[in-house]
Amino acid sequence: MNISTPFSSNRWLGLLFLLPTLLILVMFLYGPILETLRLSFHQVAFLGLREEFCGLGNYRDLFFEPGYRRMFQATLIFTFFTVTGGMGLGLLLALLVHGVKGGRGFYRLFLIWPYALSPAVAGVIFLFLFSNQVGLVNAGLDALFGRHPDWLASPALAMTVVVGAAIWKNIGYNLIFYLAALSSLPRDVLEAARMDGAGHVMRLLRVFLPLLAPMTLFLLVVNLMYAVFDVFPVVDLITKGGPSDATLLMIYSLYRDGFEFLKTGSAAAQSVLLLGAVAFLTLVKFRTYGRGIHYGGRQ
Amino acid sequence: MVKWARAACSIVLGLVMAGSALAAAPKKVEVTFWHAMGGGNIAFIERMVADFNFTHPQIEVKAEYKGSYRDTLNATILAHRQKKSPHMVHIFEVGTQMALDSGIFTPFAQGLEASALRDLEDYIPPVANYYTINGQFNSIPWNSSNPVLYYNKDIFRKAGLDPENPPKTYGEIMKAAEQIVRSKAAVKGITWPLHSWFVEQWISMQGALLANNENGRAGRATETHLDSPAMMRTATWWKELYDKGLYAYSGKPEDWDGANKLFVSGQTGMLITSTSDVTFHQAAAFENGYALGTGPLPAPDGMERNGVVVGGASIWMTRDKSPEEMEAARTFLLWLTNTENGVRWHKGTGYFPVRTSSCDVVKNQGWFEKNPAYTAAFEQLLSTRVNRASQGALLGPFPEIRTIITDAMQQILSGTPVEKALKEADTRADKALQDYNRSVK
Repeated sequence: MNISTPFSSNRWLGLLFLLPTLLILVMFLYGPILETLRLSFHQVAFLGLREEFCGLGNYRDLFFEPGYRRMFQATLIFTFFTVTGGMGLGLLLALLVHGVKGGRGFYRLFLIWPYALSPAVAGVIFLFLFSNQVGLVNAGLDALFGRHPDWLASPALAMTVVVGAAIWKNIGYNLIFYLAALSSLPRDVLEAARMDGAGHVMRLLRVFLPLLAPMTLFLLVVNLMYAVFDVFPVVDLITKGGPSDATLLMIYSLYRDGFEFLKTGSAAAQSVLLLGAVAFLTLVKFRTYGRGIHYGGRQ
Repeated sequence: MVKWARAACSIVLGLVMAGSALAAAPKKVEVTFWHAMGGGNIAFIERMVADFNFTHPQIEVKAEYKGSYRDTLNATILAHRQKKSPHMVHIFEVGTQMALDSGIFTPFAQGLEASALRDLEDYIPPVANYYTINGQFNSIPWNSSNPVLYYNKDIFRKAGLDPENPPKTYGEIMKAAEQIVRSKAAVKGITWPLHSWFVEQWISMQGALLANNENGRAGRATETHLDSPAMMRTATWWKELYDKGLYAYSGKPEDWDGANKLFVSGQTGMLITSTSDVTFHQAAAFENGYALGTGPLPAPDGMERNGVVVGGASIWMTRDKSPEEMEAARTFLLWLTNTENGVRWHKGTGYFPVRTSSCDVVKNQGWFEKNPAYTAAFEQLLSTRVNRASQGALLGPFPEIRTIITDAMQQILSGTPVEKALKEADTRADKALQDYNRSVK
């Protein structure tokens, strides 16, 4: 303890080194957050040319207006299916790839590929796949069954397409994390299970899933964040929130209110809600990630 | 910290400005112009601006493309907050009330000499009408358009319809579409983009209003009329077309390209879309080897045609500029839309000349004999009655109300009863209007 460094003896020098980072954080993070919070209590016209305090008015509208209720509903449906679908498929594919003897690297590479694309590219690919007139999917359905559904015109189908695009884009991420977790599972436990004569299903349910639980928890948080915050381009490119707000996710609604309808106050209130959600999820993420490092069974 | 930076900046800027003032003795008046015309039009505008700068050595206009109409308006408001707004801004018709309320613009006609005011009377009445606010010429109309019917004469012939006599009413459209589909001349009868713009046009065609206080022209609009009989008539007809499999929906709202594709590829015999696409459709018809016809926007049966709302966009001048700069901006805007340039603009882009004199020049040059597809558009424009309905509504949150109308139409096509969907849309639009009105008071 008596080896005191020049830094600990000189607080000011330490602060000086922190200054650039602090400045950037204040200018680009803390400042805007406080400003957003302030704006969310105001009725703002013309991007801030005029402001009027309205207390919790923006929040009240958010929770009690039918338009926004549809938005929350769409966000919930989308999040649920994207997270469960993405993680379920990711786990399934990871188990399959893990079980393959030869060419594991090959499968791994191609399954992770979509993750390397930007969400905008995923959006465009799905837009063209499911286009009513020129889409490959409808060309196939037409040839096989003589049907060509209006994918983007029906609320349920449009939601399916958007969820599909979001899952497809993110599946590589889940896959690679599950693969890593699978390859570091304790061999003795697996061996013991096999010796005891546990079948595939039994091993999956009783051994793999419990051992993978910490990873699942971590991925759940990451996927939730993805489904809530990172899907803007997918919605923007494929449906623009339509048909009749069926795919109006919160992140898109906030953009639309803020920059198309110039309802800055309402957009700010939505950002604050999202900020709260992201803060909560980040907290959970840090906690679960710390735990996830020690894989179960061998603590 | 911020203050120091500002002080330093202003000192540097001051030095630079002083330097440049010394260097160029006879100072040019510099004015900036932000517009939202993308694609090939950017180069076209650059050329026009270069011509202006060449012929007006004392003025230097700088034109800048700022993205979509919404982006341009947002950028202007932000620039105004930093006291750096451009002198002239290109604003879409539905942004009119918002631009007025922002208080950062000045009416064009204000402070104009009598001779220049007389010159303004040359703008085509239904066009000038939209941009006349509180009796004053408010902004310079530039790219104007309205919807017309395009039809494929070959498909008409195959279906046994008269290729020289396009359907003009809701009923006639229904019959023609039925005949096209029944005779298998095309898969569907008709298409148009699912966009609120068409609904607005059909309201005007029936002489009805979209909002109270005379469409928001006599006073601020406080209520919309989205469940009016005129709306019901249009929505019911549209739904019937769709339910009978006669109307082709591209599957996405506001999908102008999708509707064009359906028509050009021969999947529908008719299309309703903007007059600004005439040039495109003439070329497409030539490339794909079919004969193109045009007709007026269909109106409900047994009703007198009131005409269309001439929308598009106009150019606004910002306030708080020096008199020389204002004068330079006015000179540029009047030059940009003068008789000759109106003709050049029309032939180069397909948008309409906004002056009567330009129309006359185009007519005298035999333009319509060579390009008959333009006729319907011109006739519809010139025969439009000038009244509150065709003047178009002034609504603050018009972009939002457009989304509400588009949503309602989507719901109606996918099965929601017409009355229910329109009632709900009306309530939503009223709420949007009230929220907006409260925020600008």
